[in-house]
Amino acid sequence: MVSQGLRVVHYLNQFFGGIGGEEKASERPQVKDGLVGLGRAIQDVLKERGEVVATVICGDNYFAERTEEAVDEVLRMLTPYQPDIVIAGPAFNAGRYGVACGEVCKAVQDKLGIPAVTGMYEENPGVDLYKRDVYIVKTAESARGTAEVASRMVNIALKLVAKEEIGKPAEEGYFPRGIIRNERVDKNAAERAVSMVLAKIKGEPFAPELELPKFDRVKPPTAIKDLTSARIALVTDGGLVPKGNPDNMESHKSTRFATYDIRRLGSLSSKDFEANHIGYNTGFVDQDPNRLVPLDVMRDLEKEGVIGKLHDKVYATAGVGTGLDSSKKIGQGIAEQLKAGRVDGVILTST
Amino acid sequence: MTPIAVMVGSNRVIPASGIVHPVGNPDLDPEEEKRLRRIIVEKALEALWTELTEQKLFPRPTI
Amino acid sequence: MRLELDILNIKDVQFADKTEVSEGVLHINRGELQELLQEDKRLSRVDIELAHPGESCRILQVADIIEPRAKTRGSGEDFPGALGKVGTAGEGSTCVLRGVAVVLSNQGEAQELAEAEDAIGYIIDMSGPGAECSLYAKTHNVVVLPYPVDGASHDDYKIALKIAGLKTAVYLAQAGKELKPDEVEVYDLPPLTEVSKGTEDLPKVGYIFQVYCTSFPARSGEPVLYGDNIRLLLPTIIHPNEVLDGAIVTPYECRGTETYVVQNHPVITELYRKHGKELCFVGVIITVSRITEPERERSVAMASSLAKSFLGADGVIITKASSGAPDIDAAQTAQRCEELGVKAVLIMFDGSSPADLASGMESSVVFNLPGANAIVNTGNHFWHILDLPAVERTIGKPVILPSGVSSDGKLRKGLNWIKGGLDQEGHSKIMSVRY
Repeated sequence: MVSQGLRVVHYLNQFFGGIGGEEKASERPQVKDGLVGLGRAIQDVLKERGEVVATVICGDNYFAERTEEAVDEVLRMLTPYQPDIVIAGPAFNAGRYGVACGEVCKAVQDKLGIPAVTGMYEENPGVDLYKRDVYIVKTAESARGTAEVASRMVNIALKLVAKEEIGKPAEEGYFPRGIIRNERVDKNAAERAVSMVLAKIKGEPFAPELELPKFDRVKPPTAIKDLTSARIALVTDGGLVPKGNPDNMESHKSTRFATYDIRRLGSLSSKDFEANHIGYNTGFVDQDPNRLVPLDVMRDLEKEGVIGKLHDKVYATAGVGTGLDSSKKIGQGIAEQLKAGRVDGVILTST
Repeated sequence: MTPIAVMVGSNRVIPASGIVHPVGNPDLDPEEEKRLRRIIVEKALEALWTELTEQKLFPRPTI
Repeated sequence: MRLELDILNIKDVQFADKTEVSEGVLHINRGELQELLQEDKRLSRVDIELAHPGESCRILQVADIIEPRAKTRGSGEDFPGALGKVGTAGEGSTCVLRGVAVVLSNQGEAQELAEAEDAIGYIIDMSGPGAECSLYAKTHNVVVLPYPVDGASHDDYKIALKIAGLKTAVYLAQAGKELKPDEVEVYDLPPLTEVSKGTEDLPKVGYIFQVYCTSFPARSGEPVLYGDNIRLLLPTIIHPNEVLDGAIVTPYECRGTETYVVQNHPVITELYRKHGKELCFVGVIITVSRITEPERERSVAMASSLAKSFLGADGVIITKASSGAPDIDAAQTAQRCEELGVKAVLIMFDGSSPADLASGMESSVVFNLPGANAIVNTGNHFWHILDLPAVERTIGKPVILPSGVSSDGKLRKGLNWIKGGLDQEGHSKIMSVRY
């Protein structure tokens, strides 16, 4: 069979591949010439620009239970067709299918050097796992709007093959891939701000250039029933360091935390400690580090029996310009130490 | 910076004595300052002892 | 208030026997300028160097940048309160040497850690990838390097540094006073009671300008607003011309706002441009970002009330000084304005790091108030790392970092460490986009 233009191989799961439902989820990979099912939507968009030359179908459970093998099998099956591009799914909100699509696309790119594209619904776990590696087109939760999705997938496919620049996520309909680019624009930010406020006043739509964050919530841990037997630790993000900063702790954009043994100390002295942090005026803390980490008061409370024990270590970092990712790692690192030290409660002083 | 602490999901938040001296106040004389520090720390301990089902921003401790 | 800027377009700057402007060239009598600046007893000496666009030259330890401007025809004091006697700025005429910038280089003791990531400090590269990102690579720069006398305190020196820059700016512009300007820009805005005459149907837009942030040390005597250091300033109204004409000198901890930008304020000039056509520019509110709660709440309440009930604004644009607490201030002001029915737009830089995005944190904005949802970004500076080539010449104190890198060598610097790179007021034409 001679094909014109783009050679596309399509990956589908057992359901979309027409083999069966859940009962067929353990089916091993198989390949069929030409298109199957949703491949029709892809071909309709492609028209004479290319052809779906083959379809690889694999059961979602088979893929999930032996992913490496399954990937190898899938790659072996599609290679003889010499595809210019591999399109997987779309998987909509089917989780195992989404992960399989992401994994297949990533392997095709990494191991065969062939571009790939897929499609999923925003809550599909495959999105967060693969969006940085693979172009994932946004879809609805269930199998509708397939013509639109196919159109976007083919559009990206054609550009990838032609090595053309892919436009912005909102324009081309894919999930942002975690890349930040500073781009030159015609109007400066002040001009854009004036246009935006006029649009807002008139009730017209506007496109914010920074999104507000969404933060997850952690259930509050159970309260400490008896403080008099509790071990309490002190932690700070105010950049406490020994005088002279001998460990070269970062003053901003921190990537780590320090641990200080305070067993023998009744309080923090300005002779021994200072603050290393570019986000606030550290003068007052330098004069008296207890203003940042209340060691003196905690010692008193320990002596008086109000708390059981002041933990022997103080943990410190500088929390300015420190990315959310680093902050998480630092927090997790400190938390591990606290758990190992059997700490019951923490007082975190923040600047 | 209590708004940030609350926004990112801290569960027990005590508004303290300012960014540049969270548990101090150089305008007070040293004894008073230590007293303020103790009051803030005691409030923090109270928060650790308080059972909660969701975030709480505690009232600001004052001398 | 009516202000006329008489602009001379300068295409070159050279040292010469006499300070004058002729045929578009600024000639500077270096000795005379040095003598003038060395009158300040806080300084032991002052060096003056020149840097031109396109040169393989790097200016180090940059503290602030000021456009040469001088009042003409007896129409007021230069930088009143800071340099000149206290008075009002914003009326009459001012001579401007466009295309020239006075660049202040801090030659005091080792930079306090709080100010810069290393002893090289903020830089300006006059050519190469660093130059593409900075407006100060496109101006002919008169670099002023004051040295402190022995025993001068940090604070005294920093104020002397700023004053030296202002004096230089005025001294240079005075050379153009008598000349016929190449261009004239007129900024004319009547009082609030008249400003909307004939434009009643146009939306009323104001600007809330956060000028100062109290997270950093107060320097007694540091001139910010008419020479006052405004740490305790409660929100107040100021005429936009006052901002443009020298009432405001950026505080030492300017973190992305140079005096040059304030003199050429992008939000104010844009609101003026559209005034009477697409909007009615109702005025400017200036604020100071506070770091303690009741003070912040008070400032937010007063600023938004001024916008709503005094300026009668339908919408406001809000900018901030520095970041952290200032972001909260700006966001809460936006939220409160929206609650009062005043639409708010914020201008902010994008602080997201690639690691943030890789970990699924799409936004590094530090607030999520719904009223503060309209944000324009000025680019991603802290995480945009530039590879700067070695240069033939540096101006400022040469440095060899612990890593062995030298200040005239190849540097890797975040865009925020290039003066003119980090933008808080919206002058730059880059935008951070997610892909």
